[in-house]
Amino acid sequence: MATKAESRLTTLRAVSYALVITWLIIAAFPFLWTVWGSFKVQGDFFSKADWTNAIYGILTTRETGGAFTLKGYYGAWIQEEFWRNVFNTMVIVFFTVCISLTFGTLGGYALARSGFRYAFWVLMAALAFRAMPHITLVSGYMLPFFEWNIWGLKATTVIVLVAINQPFTLWMLHSFFLNIPKDMDESAMVDGCTRFQAFWNVIVPVMWPGVITTGLFSFLLAYNDYAVTSMLLSKPNETMVPAVASFLGSVQVQGNIMFAVAAVVSATAPLFVLILFFQRQIVSGLTAGAVKG
Amino acid sequence: MAEIVVSNVSKRWDSFVGVHDFDRTIADREFLVLPGPSDCGKTTAMRMVAGLEDPSSGEFWIDGRAANDLEPEDRDVAMVFQSYALYPNMNVHENIRFPLKVRGVDPATHDERVRRASAMVELDDFLHRRPAELSGGQRQRVAPGRAIVREPVAFLVDEPLSNLDAKLQVSTRAQIKNLSHELAVTTVYVTHDQIEAMTLADRVVVMKQGVVQQVGTPTEIYGRPANAFVASFIGNPAMNLVDGEIADSSFKAENALIEGLSAPEGALTLGFRAEDAEVVTEGGQINARICKMARLRDATVVSVRIGGSLASVKADKNYRAEIDDTVSIRISTDLCHLFDTKMGERVGD
Repeated sequence: MATKAESRLTTLRAVSYALVITWLIIAAFPFLWTVWGSFKVQGDFFSKADWTNAIYGILTTRETGGAFTLKGYYGAWIQEEFWRNVFNTMVIVFFTVCISLTFGTLGGYALARSGFRYAFWVLMAALAFRAMPHITLVSGYMLPFFEWNIWGLKATTVIVLVAINQPFTLWMLHSFFLNIPKDMDESAMVDGCTRFQAFWNVIVPVMWPGVITTGLFSFLLAYNDYAVTSMLLSKPNETMVPAVASFLGSVQVQGNIMFAVAAVVSATAPLFVLILFFQRQIVSGLTAGAVKG
Repeated sequence: MAEIVVSNVSKRWDSFVGVHDFDRTIADREFLVLPGPSDCGKTTAMRMVAGLEDPSSGEFWIDGRAANDLEPEDRDVAMVFQSYALYPNMNVHENIRFPLKVRGVDPATHDERVRRASAMVELDDFLHRRPAELSGGQRQRVAPGRAIVREPVAFLVDEPLSNLDAKLQVSTRAQIKNLSHELAVTTVYVTHDQIEAMTLADRVVVMKQGVVQQVGTPTEIYGRPANAFVASFIGNPAMNLVDGEIADSSFKAENALIEGLSAPEGALTLGFRAEDAEVVTEGGQINARICKMARLRDATVVSVRIGGSLASVKADKNYRAEIDDTVSIRISTDLCHLFDTKMGERVGD
């Protein structure tokens, strides 16, 4: 017979499972719905007659002869050359992450080890810039970029994204560096390292989880950005997010909603893979045992 | 193997004085210990020798080279940090090898040198473990291993024992003594533990609030403290300090009259060690009521009130008395120390 405590525990467990499952459905359902719908025709996924058409694919079967179709993907990837946008995104994201991390680790390390008061004010200023909406910064960039004729280039966008992202990487890496005892770099320097060698040989290896976590956040910022990329990139250099937006169309231009849906699914899938791949690094702490327990 | 000259070195942060006018030549192969209470500037003094802190004024020479403008990596000194500062991503072997690697020592010799160093600190069996997989005592030995592997001109050691339990401290202290004897390298050793200082040192530099109080061998420091601070810091229990006055070559205070002390007349502080005085049946210079008794394994410590302060005397371990019994204490005038009451400086010889 279950005791009172046991039955209370079971109830508690049931409630917590229910909460987790509810949350999972709320979070995952829109994505799963989109994945499912991306293999249908527009008439089904945006059915005016009956929403169950999106599940059974009545019109899809009628139009293409099967319950699933790759028409959306074909249209987006081949007809509209979405692969170009994917490539652009990869280039821009890669350089944004690399440059952000380079400056972020060096700057964060310097700020963490600096005994001067200005380090605090630099971080405060960084926070203030980080708090501004991105679009306010972008409007200021437009005129000089047109004047210098560098508007629309991928490199220009990388610079702007790095600038927007840098305050965050500085903050984050700064706090990671603060957790690494100063004794470690000093010990390395007495052992024969220059300041930079100490940083590179001793501090960075311990910092990997922090660098990867920060890199991931920079990645997500560059990957998901709409405000900057839509304003600063010319059509051939456009990344995925503004491309998806243009598939949706505007008042002037007739879009193709199914292309947008297929492109959205294509853009989201890699994120899952990435997070699953790096989750161990994000969680792990390598510093255990560095100094006295 | 080197002489370290520290010439009039000071360190100030705004108005705070970390180290004031430190001036001392540390002889080749000397084992110099800097004991002192927290924040007395001992660690700062050592960090300046290592190059981790720039002095506000003064000069350093290490092994005949002017060291002020040398970066830590160019000074060729090895330092053992209080926190050990092991590299967590490397195993013991890689930790010990690290100085050789970054200094570009011929890689062919690395293995042998690491093996020799790890044997000295008794870590041969743990070379493939990471710091996280070692016990406290083992971690503590990795840092000296890393220091001796490259045969530096000097060792700087910052409170390496403060994180160990009492038993391990005693055995590690013995190990350090052996190691320093074997290696015969100039060593500067910082500790807050005066027993460590007395057992390890060739020479002791006692500091207080950045100012050097006394330099001498452990025997000198113990037997002839330069001022009341040194007297009270070195020794366990601390030296008894009693305020009183000198008149007609004798020291007078409540419950005490000690004759035959040559010193100028006036207010003075008398110092004597618990182990230098003895409890007698009668006829001692101090006659007072017992305030406190503590039985240790090797002695009974009797505390009495003299001139407004409590003084302790070590009696035989079989000595028995009750609190409030009157006791007589005899002390040889040779073993009495006199200090200026205001300034604390030693008076007479």
